[in-house]
Order: sequence, then C-alpha cells, then structure tokens
Amino acid sequence: MNPETLVTINVGLPVVSALALLVLNDKRIRTAIVSLSALILVSSSFLLYQAGGVVFSPGHIFEQAVVILDFALLLYFLYAGLKTKSPQVVLLGLAQIIPAAYFEFVVKGTHVENIMVVDSLSILLTLIVNIVGSVVVIYALSYMEEHEHHLQMEKSTQNRFFFFMIMLLAAMNGLVYSNSLYWIYFFWEVTTLCCYELIRHDMTEEAIQNSTLALWMGLVGGVALIGTMFVSYYTIGNISLSDLLVATPGQYVLLAFALMAIAAFTKSAQLPFQGWLLGAMVAPTPVSALLHSSTMVNIGVYTILRIAPAIQGTYLTYGIAFVGIFTFLITSIIALSQKLSKRILAYSTVGNLGLMIFCAAMNTSLSYSAAIILLVFHAMSKGLLFMCAGIIENRLHTRAIEDWAGLITRLPITAKVMMVGIISMFLPLFGVLLGKWAAIGITSTAPSILGMVMVAMMVIGSSATTLFWAKWLGSFVITPLVKGTAKNEELSAGYKLSLFGVLGLNILTSLGSGYVIKAIVTPIVEMNYQLVWNIDVLTLHSQVGDFMILPLWGALVAIFILGNLLFKSKGGEIKPPYLSGENVKDNPIAFRTTADSVVEYNVAGMFFDSEITEARWVPLSTLAGVLLNLALLALVML
Amino acid sequence: MVNTMNLERTIQVLFIIFAPIIGGLLAGLDRKITARMQGRVGPPLLQPFYDVIKLWGKEPFIASSLQPILVVGYLVFIMTGLVLLAFRRDMLHIIFTLTLADICLIVAAYNSGSPYSNLGARRELLAMLSYEPLMVLTAMGIQIITGSFLLEGIFTYHLPLLVVLPAAFVAQQFILIIDMKKSPYDVSGSSHAHQELVRGVYTEFSGYTMAIVELGHWIKTVFILGLMSYFWAQNPIIGAGLALSLWFIAILVDNIYPRLNWKHMLRTTWITGFTLILANLVGLVVLGVI
Amino acid sequence: MTIMDKSRLKSLWVLHYDCGSCNGCDIEILAALTPKFDVERFGIVNIGDPKQADVLLVTGPANNRNKDVLKNLYDQMPQPKLVMAIGTCACTGGIFHNCPNTLGGVDKVIPVDVYIPGCAVRPEQIIDGVVLALEKLKGNAPVEEDE
Repeated sequence: MNPETLVTINVGLPVVSALALLVLNDKRIRTAIVSLSALILVSSSFLLYQAGGVVFSPGHIFEQAVVILDFALLLYFLYAGLKTKSPQVVLLGLAQIIPAAYFEFVVKGTHVENIMVVDSLSILLTLIVNIVGSVVVIYALSYMEEHEHHLQMEKSTQNRFFFFMIMLLAAMNGLVYSNSLYWIYFFWEVTTLCCYELIRHDMTEEAIQNSTLALWMGLVGGVALIGTMFVSYYTIGNISLSDLLVATPGQYVLLAFALMAIAAFTKSAQLPFQGWLLGAMVAPTPVSALLHSSTMVNIGVYTILRIAPAIQGTYLTYGIAFVGIFTFLITSIIALSQKLSKRILAYSTVGNLGLMIFCAAMNTSLSYSAAIILLVFHAMSKGLLFMCAGIIENRLHTRAIEDWAGLITRLPITAKVMMVGIISMFLPLFGVLLGKWAAIGITSTAPSILGMVMVAMMVIGSSATTLFWAKWLGSFVITPLVKGTAKNEELSAGYKLSLFGVLGLNILTSLGSGYVIKAIVTPIVEMNYQLVWNIDVLTLHSQVGDFMILPLWGALVAIFILGNLLFKSKGGEIKPPYLSGENVKDNPIAFRTTADSVVEYNVAGMFFDSEITEARWVPLSTLAGVLLNLALLALVML
Repeated sequence: MVNTMNLERTIQVLFIIFAPIIGGLLAGLDRKITARMQGRVGPPLLQPFYDVIKLWGKEPFIASSLQPILVVGYLVFIMTGLVLLAFRRDMLHIIFTLTLADICLIVAAYNSGSPYSNLGARRELLAMLSYEPLMVLTAMGIQIITGSFLLEGIFTYHLPLLVVLPAAFVAQQFILIIDMKKSPYDVSGSSHAHQELVRGVYTEFSGYTMAIVELGHWIKTVFILGLMSYFWAQNPIIGAGLALSLWFIAILVDNIYPRLNWKHMLRTTWITGFTLILANLVGLVVLGVI
Repeated sequence: MTIMDKSRLKSLWVLHYDCGSCNGCDIEILAALTPKFDVERFGIVNIGDPKQADVLLVTGPANNRNKDVLKNLYDQMPQPKLVMAIGTCACTGGIFHNCPNTLGGVDKVIPVDVYIPGCAVRPEQIIDGVVLALEKLKGNAPVEEDE
C-alpha cells in the first residue's frame, strides 16, 4: 500500500465515517463504524510509519474543495457569532473572511507545489491522534450512553457528537500532513469548529458560553495564521511552509513565525489564552480526553516543533520558550488550589503543553527530544486520566476530589488505573518524567543566565506539580470508610478496552522508552539537529547523563514480591486509626466527643485557599500573557 | 590503576552494605550528643538498634494490607538511590528515585485514614517541596559545571565542588535539617521523642512497619551525608568531615531553635537556599567559569 | 537471653495517660523525663502513640467517662505491653476510693503489671517501678513467636 493511499485513508476515512455516524443514529451501527474506523486508522498509521513519509499533491479538485469548504466554514462561524450575539466571533470571523477572500480571488496565491509533505514529525502526530484518539472515541461510546441516560434524554444527539469527534481526527491528520499554509489554516479552523460544537454539545447556558469563548480564542489563532499566509506570500512569494522554513530568517520571515507561534498559543491554551481550556471542562469528558489533552491541543506544540529549527539562535525562539515556561509555572501553582478533578487536569495540561513548547523553543537537540518525549507520553497519561475521571464522575456524581477520598475501596478498578495514571505523570518509571529529566538538562548546552532562570522556573513548577499530584494520589487510598460506601463497579467492555489499552500502552512504552526514543524520537530530531542519544539495554545515555528506567521497574517488582512475602509472614491485625482513644466501635472514622455524642471526623484537603486564589492570579497572569505575546511581536519587528 | 579501581569498587560496595549500620550508629550518636548538649547522660550508642529490633518483635498492627508493601517500597527505593549514589550515577535520576521513596511513605501515611497521619503526610509533602528544588538545582549546578549529571564528573573535575558551588553546600544544610526531622523544620514528624500531631506522618505505623520506616530513614540520612561528602570528592576524608560537620550543625541547630511552621520552612529554604544557588550559578556565568 | 529479649529490655517506649488525676503524679512523671532524672539513658522515650508504645503509664482513678478511652488505648497497644498504675489513685482509687463517680483503681478496667503508690509519686519511685517492670518483662515469655 503506497503512502499516498495511507495518507488519503487517514484524512478521508474519518470524514466518511463521520458522515455515516451523523446520518445513522443507531447504537449498534455506531459501535460498528467506530470500531472499524479505529482498527483501520491504527493500522494505517503503523503502515505509514513503516513507509517513512511522502511528498505529493492531491489533485486540483481537492484544492478547490478546500476553498469551498473553507468559506462555508467561515460563513458558519459568522452565523454562529450572530446567533450567540458574540461581537468577538463576528469581528474575528470577518477579519478572516475578508483577507481570505482577497487572497484567494484577487491575489490568487493559494497554490503550492507540494501540498502534502509527510515526514517523521507528521507521522508521530498521526500515531498519537489515531491510536489515542481511536481509544478515546471507543470510550466515548460507553460514556455517552451513560451520559444521555443520566440526563434522561428522549432523543439521542450522539450522532452529532460522534460526527464532530471523528471529524476532528480527520482534521488533525490533514493538518499535520499539510505543507500549504492555506491548507494548514483550513484544517486548523476545522478543529476550531469541532472544538466549538463539542463543547456546546449539551446546550446548557454554561456550555454555550464556554463554547463561544473557545470559538473566538480559536479564531484569534485563525487570524494569526492568515497573517502568516500574507507575510509569507509577500516575503518569499508563496505559502509553502517548507519553503518558508528554509528562507533566510529576515525580519518578515521571523514575523511570519511569530504569528504562527501566537496561533499555536491559542490552540495550546498558553497565557493569555488559557481561559478557553478551563471553560471547556464543561463538555462531556470524552471531549476533554480527546481534544483537550491528547490530540487537538498538541497542534500548538506541533507548530512550534515545526518552526523551531528555522528560528534557532534568534530572540524569537527564546521569547516563545519564555511564554511556555511562564505558563507552566503559573498554571502549576494555580493547580494547587483547585478542588475539581477536571480543573486540576486542565491546568496540568496547559502547564505541560507550556513545558513542551519551552523545550521545543529552546532549540537544542536535547530539548527538542525532550519536547517530543513529553508529547508522546503526556498524550497517553492525560487521556487516561480524563477517561478515568469521567467514569468516576458518572458513578459518584461529583467532581470535587475531596468527595473522591478513599476511592480505592469504592471503585477499586478505576481507582487503581487512575492512580497509575497519576503516578505516570510525575514519577520515574514512566515517560513523562523522562521528558522532564531531559528538559532540566537543557541548560548545559547553552549556559546563559536567561536559560538558567527559565530552568529554575521549570524546577519550581515541577515541584508544584509533584505536590498536587501526590496529594491527589494520597486521597485515593484513604481507607477506613464507613461500611456501605462500596459501589458496584461495572465497567463495560468499551471502558475496559480503553482504560487498559491506554494503560498497557503507557507501561509498555515506558518500559521500552529506549526503543521509543530510537524508533520515533531520533528520526525527528535527526532531521535538523545532531543526535545526542545513545541507547543500550539498561540505560538511556544522553549527552548530559544517564536515565535508567529498567532498574527502577526491577526495584518495583522486587517491592511487590518482598512486600507480599513480608505481609504473608508477619501478617497484621488491621486496626482503626488513632483518635486519642475516643474511637467508636464499628465506625472507624467516628469519635466520641462532648456529651458522649458521636461525630465523624473530616480532614479537609490542602488547597492553599488564602495564598493562591484564581481571582487574584488569573487576571494578573492573563495580563502578563498579553504583554508577553505583544513583546514577541515587538521582538521581531525591532 | 586497576588496583585503585578495585579499591574504589570495594569501598562503594562496603558503603552500601554497611549503610544501615552506619545510619543506626549516627542516629545513636545524634541522641548521645543531643543529650550531652542538654546536660544529660543520654542513651547508649546502640539504642537505635535496640529500638528497631524491639519494634520488629511487636505484635503486628497495620492500617491496611497496602501498608507493608508501601513501606517496603520506601526502603527499597531509598536503597536503590543509595546504590546509584555510591556508583556515582546520574544525580537527577537519583533525586527522582528518592522522590519515589518519599511518595511511598506519604501514600502509606494517607492510607491509614487517620487525621494525624493525613496532616503529617501533607506536611511531609511540603517538606519535600522545600528541599527537592534545592537538590535539583544542585544537580543542575553539577551538570552545568562538569557537563553532565553523572556524579562521576565531580570526581574528575579539577576543583572540589565546594569551591565552585559553595551556595549549594550551604543549601545542603537545609536539606539535612529537613530530612533528619530536626527543629526548626520538624513539622511532619519529629526525631524520636518530640511530638507533633502525635507522631505526624509516622502515627499509624507500628511494629514491623515502623521498624522498616526507621531503617529507611537511617539510610536516607546516610545518603544525604554521602552526597555532601561529594563536595570534596578528591579527598574522601575531607568529604566525610564536611558531611559530618553539617550533621553536627543540624544537631546544634535542633537544640537551639524551636519548631517553626511549614510556611516558615518553605519561605526560608526557598528564599535562602534556592536564591543562593541560583546566584551562585549566575556568578559562575558572569565570572566566566562556565 | 536472646537479642529480642535484650532489645525489649533496653527500649521501652512510654504512653502517658492521665485518667482523671489531679495532675500531681503527671507532673512527677514529666519530672522523671527531664534531664535531672534522664530516663532516656534507659531507652525510655515518651512516645505519644499507643501503636508504638510498650508501657502505658496511667495516673488517676478510673471512672465511667474515661474507662472506654483507657480500654481503647490499651487495645491499640501491640503486645508485649505493660501497664503501670502510678499514684494511689490509679492503684486503688486513693482518696477518691468509693466515690460515686469513680470505679476505683485502673485495674478495674485493664490489667495492671506494676503498682506504684504515692501521693504524689516521687520520680525515684517511678524509676524503681520501671526497674520492677523490667524484671517482670525478663521473667515473661514473649506473647508471640520469637524471630
């Protein structure tokens, strides 16, 4: 099967499936279509990886189709803006439609020699999108059934839901294959559309408000990309990204890249655009798992990874890095104060994306590798965490993590999977920490004061993440609970497949992280940088140190064996906690107090309520973000 | 050449094997010195060993079936960190391994469900938040100066680490005080007798689980002292002397200062330790050393 | 004598509970723990946690309110354990013997191993009592299998 066909399948099949799902609103047909599509997409992405890449242009009819669809899309955005009475959407929509029309019909500059350029970086994104994305959509099958049952809906709107979910996969694939800035811009706006429609799916007041927020922030990115298109055309004469990347980095070329970076910030919810991702948590959880953690938001990181090699050594690249690391620092600290599960996950996502952008923009071989490693492993870990959070929320009807205490006895399987997911985000044994380890090594390759300050910011942010993950992790295992709090945990086959699938994949890729680096990371890094990795069986040698994942897993196995042996030989009577001697019989969390009354104790979580309040931190940091973005543009113009 | 390598290897292996004994003796010496500073006689040097053996022989009470496994996790990961330290592997990786160990302890403390344990566990997290950045920055300093996180680099560098990273050495004092659970930073569970929230993070451990935690704690202290001795890697006697002097200062400070709260701990370690090391590194860049 | 026996004799961790005492005996217990008498040289440490304690020092008479707490603390201590009733009130009820609200000495609620009378008990007597307790420990076989 030749690569062009595979590319067409990756973009075209989801479109066909999406349309079929829109039309056929039957549960069993839906399951069949989704499962079949998933299977095909996963296979085709592997085959494409084997093929290695391709450069081609689909026929002229496709170019025309894109133009028509693009204007249809923009008109729909205008309509949406008018319907929701949102002036930002209308203005930003006009700010796109008028220049786009001018560019297409007057300047006639949209033609590019090679529209599709598929290289290792594109293939990496395809693997992530198709594999993790497919699993999340399968999860969504079970979730949406529960969701609609819960909302007691008479008529199912799952056809619309799955239409946009699958359409997103098509748009993501199309975007990473595109070399024409116009096609990139088109697919970008399709993802904005899917995001908008999926956030507002439940049609509540909150959903509509937040989807409008996501829409106009996404449109800012679209306007930035239109800007890039114009600057590119009038500087190098065409809108081919590959040509732009090799052009001599003069002032206007850098401006084009700066505009692309700002577009990337809108998509990856970096400061000051973080608000839409936080607001998007009102959407059904599969949306959060798919768009806002493992696939769509990666577009921003992908963009920076694409342009980084072309801006090596410029002030722009360090400016972008600073926006990334600043976002990481602020969001990690704010996450300490969050009490709702999805908000913690959302802030963590924004922070990690910032970290990836920082790594990519620091523009050394090691940092670029770190960005890719983080990208791969974060997608799996965060997708898993959102999926688990969705299941728990459906069962317990609350998002407050203080009410999730002791989950290991109430929902044992989901709790254990989620605990491994949390561990995979911040502890060695898994890949995300491998990425962080590589990122901290960045300073050696170019020890500058700014570099050191930024890595110091990373260290502080990292400590904050350790704190909020660890306190959440601990709350899962708070065991003495009143009898009768255990729930029947029935997980559907779809749930089991998605949870254990991603979990298994995460464990396998972490165990084999050396292989993952050799097979996936180094081909991408090699395209533009010198190689720094030297992998052998036990150790991953980089130019700044050694990381040994397998010995840690060995220690883990030893712990399980020794721990169980110890427990079997010494045993132990399970005793209730110490409550100053006032324990009550049969209730391990109650104690006797004044007038011999019985009270259940309750330990509140640690949320730094007085030091870290969103009311104080968010406006300040958003303002800082605006100033930083403006500074970026100023940097290139001066 | 081969002989010095063999000698080095032997010392490293002996260090690993005898770490628990060294840790116990240091704990005993700690109590003896503290007693003398307070005008008392103090317990015998081998007291910590009697304590641990006695604990091992107690009737086992546990908080849940998870607790023994987590406690073994604490011990094994600390030992792993020690082995990696002795063999001079990647400093940053070692720090993360220690984080794994700490998390095992913290989760074990949460596991019991007790309010005292819970509060102790979160304070332990805050203690980790206080000293971990200092360790990472020290690792960063080592990496910037020697070119790699591998501790082997310290041994082949032409200057002792103390000369190029003096601020990091001062910061180690904070790390040691927090780890040894000495005042003013013993917020999560004091060394032996002083009570804080009953026993803080250690409240719900008893018998054999407490014995293992004690053992792990000794080895962790030996680990940090070992790390401090690397600040004069070229001469292990001087290195050990440096480590032991910081250890002694920790005991002295413990007897002078009262316990402060977690905000003070965070503030002082970060403002003093973190800023100092960063200034040290910036100074090195400005001076052209790196 | 095995290592385990020796360790048990040399490491006694104490839990101190005031069962309704006037605090006279409690002050004397604290005095015993101060540098002047320095019981730490015998390995005695005032650990506040019953799960880690070997000896329960009780002062004051048992009454209906504190009998449950006393029993609870005693049950939360793992074997081998000792109870020392300190002061006449803890031994027999003392001056409050036969009062309507007291049950009498602590041994009405939990088994006591060493009785130390006195009102208030002197620290030297407390130390003597500890020596007696150690003798008792030496004579006793441990409750569970030895390692």
